Amino acid sequence: MSLIVLAPGVQATLQAAPRERLRHLGIPSAGPADAVSMAIANRLVGNAPHAVAIEITHGPAAFQFETPLHFALCGAVATATLDGEPVEHDQTLIANRGATLSISPFQSGARLYLAVSGTLAAQIDLGSASTYLPAALGGHYGRALKPGDSLEVSDVFTPPIIRTPINLQNPPTHSFILRAVPGPDAPEEMHTLAQTDFTITHRASRMGLELEGALPDMPSHQNRPSASVLPGAMQITPSGRGFLLGPDAQTTGGYPHLLQVIRADRHLIGQIRPGDRLRFLMRDQAKAEAALAAKQGLLDTWLEGFRL
Amino acid sequence: MTAPRFPVMPCGDDALRVLCGAGPVRHALARHLRSGDWIDIVPGKTDVTVVFDPHAGSQTLFFAALETELARFQPGARSSGKTHRLPAHFGGDDGPDLARLAADLSLSPTALIDQILNTPLHVDMIGFTPGFAYLTGLDPTLEINRLASPRVRVPAGSIGLITGQVGLYALEGPGGWPLIGRVTTPLFDPSTDDPFRLAPGDRVTIFAEP
Repeated sequence: MSLIVLAPGVQATLQAAPRERLRHLGIPSAGPADAVSMAIANRLVGNAPHAVAIEITHGPAAFQFETPLHFALCGAVATATLDGEPVEHDQTLIANRGATLSISPFQSGARLYLAVSGTLAAQIDLGSASTYLPAALGGHYGRALKPGDSLEVSDVFTPPIIRTPINLQNPPTHSFILRAVPGPDAPEEMHTLAQTDFTITHRASRMGLELEGALPDMPSHQNRPSASVLPGAMQITPSGRGFLLGPDAQTTGGYPHLLQVIRADRHLIGQIRPGDRLRFLMRDQAKAEAALAAKQGLLDTWLEGFRL
Repeated sequence: MTAPRFPVMPCGDDALRVLCGAGPVRHALARHLRSGDWIDIVPGKTDVTVVFDPHAGSQTLFFAALETELARFQPGARSSGKTHRLPAHFGGDDGPDLARLAADLSLSPTALIDQILNTPLHVDMIGFTPGFAYLTGLDPTLEINRLASPRVRVPAGSIGLITGQVGLYALEGPGGWPLIGRVTTPLFDPSTDDPFRLAPGDRVTIFAEP
């Protein structure tokens, strides 16, 4: 039983649970860039939140079902058709044997997750099936999917047909607001930073997003002692641009770490694409913790076993 | 002997940073903390950052737990590392910044390469990307800055320089250090149980491969 990749889009990889407890060896977490959308796609097909799913970037993409399968799409906004008939995001769908799923270039958002009712085969490296391309870890032979790849699906089952509750669906947008706390190298005055509209440049990948916009002048910032950085860190590079780190980002770095997107909002970074606008809302620790509890509470109403 | 007192600061909303200073104390402290409930324990050049599970408790709670651990910490004896001799090519496509960097430092390319060949280097930290080794021992009077705009692709094995340090890129990937050459033996092999050739505390000598 298998799923054939006809067109992977700009980049498609298999993702699953993040790789944890290895950052001191320089191993980033990897895992879905938008963990909430992947968990929802998996929920729609009756899988555990971190079951292996396909992360599609920007589209267009196409897949052929060699075997009848239940599947679901969640994340970026795109037009999807199954053998030419439009199909909806955020609901359980049924593909017949031989059916072709076509996904248009995304209208908004950067990543769309395709989950199937069953187990997508992936290699496990250093404790996780998530693909980390720079080290060829996990996923489909450690690499991005190519046309003609055949993805094995085992333990296929029939899930109930359900929809994502409306309050958990991604609204289409090209403008993002992320809540953040000051980072270890934050300047005294963070207000101006919070009033800045940033634009995402073409340098956007699972490693992070380059941001253009007015940033504080940081003299003597080229040679700071390297220290741990996590996804959600916003650094300022010597060229004066911001760099917002994603799931495949380096584990340590020497650029000034201005702010940290709070845990509750980090999943949104995975949906931001070149040309999108971004603003940060500065929060204190108490508000960051309250925001995490509130969003986790909302997700808990429908997504069992998923932690932000 | 009383435990050293290290300042602790937040590092975002789900991590804390212990400012313990440079040297082997970072690795001793990281080992000490490994028995605890931390998600990740990451030594930097002058600190150790611990990541906690924000679903399990507040930052205040983990701050207190960390202070308790720090009060119990006794820096142990330094463990002796391995010695590696690594072959390298310098200049050309392997070291695209060699000529410019040497000129900036008022050295000939050969004189700059000799700074590496004649220096016993120590692995001070592994990080940035899998297996990226920060080596100390480079003459700190050579002032070398990161590139103004990081390269999108740096080949595996590349040798980068920055003031006082040599960096070895174990993998192809992005990089911001000016490059002078490339080590020709693999530094990362995910198919083995111990995929990293270099470990903190190891000694490294780089030699020019004919």
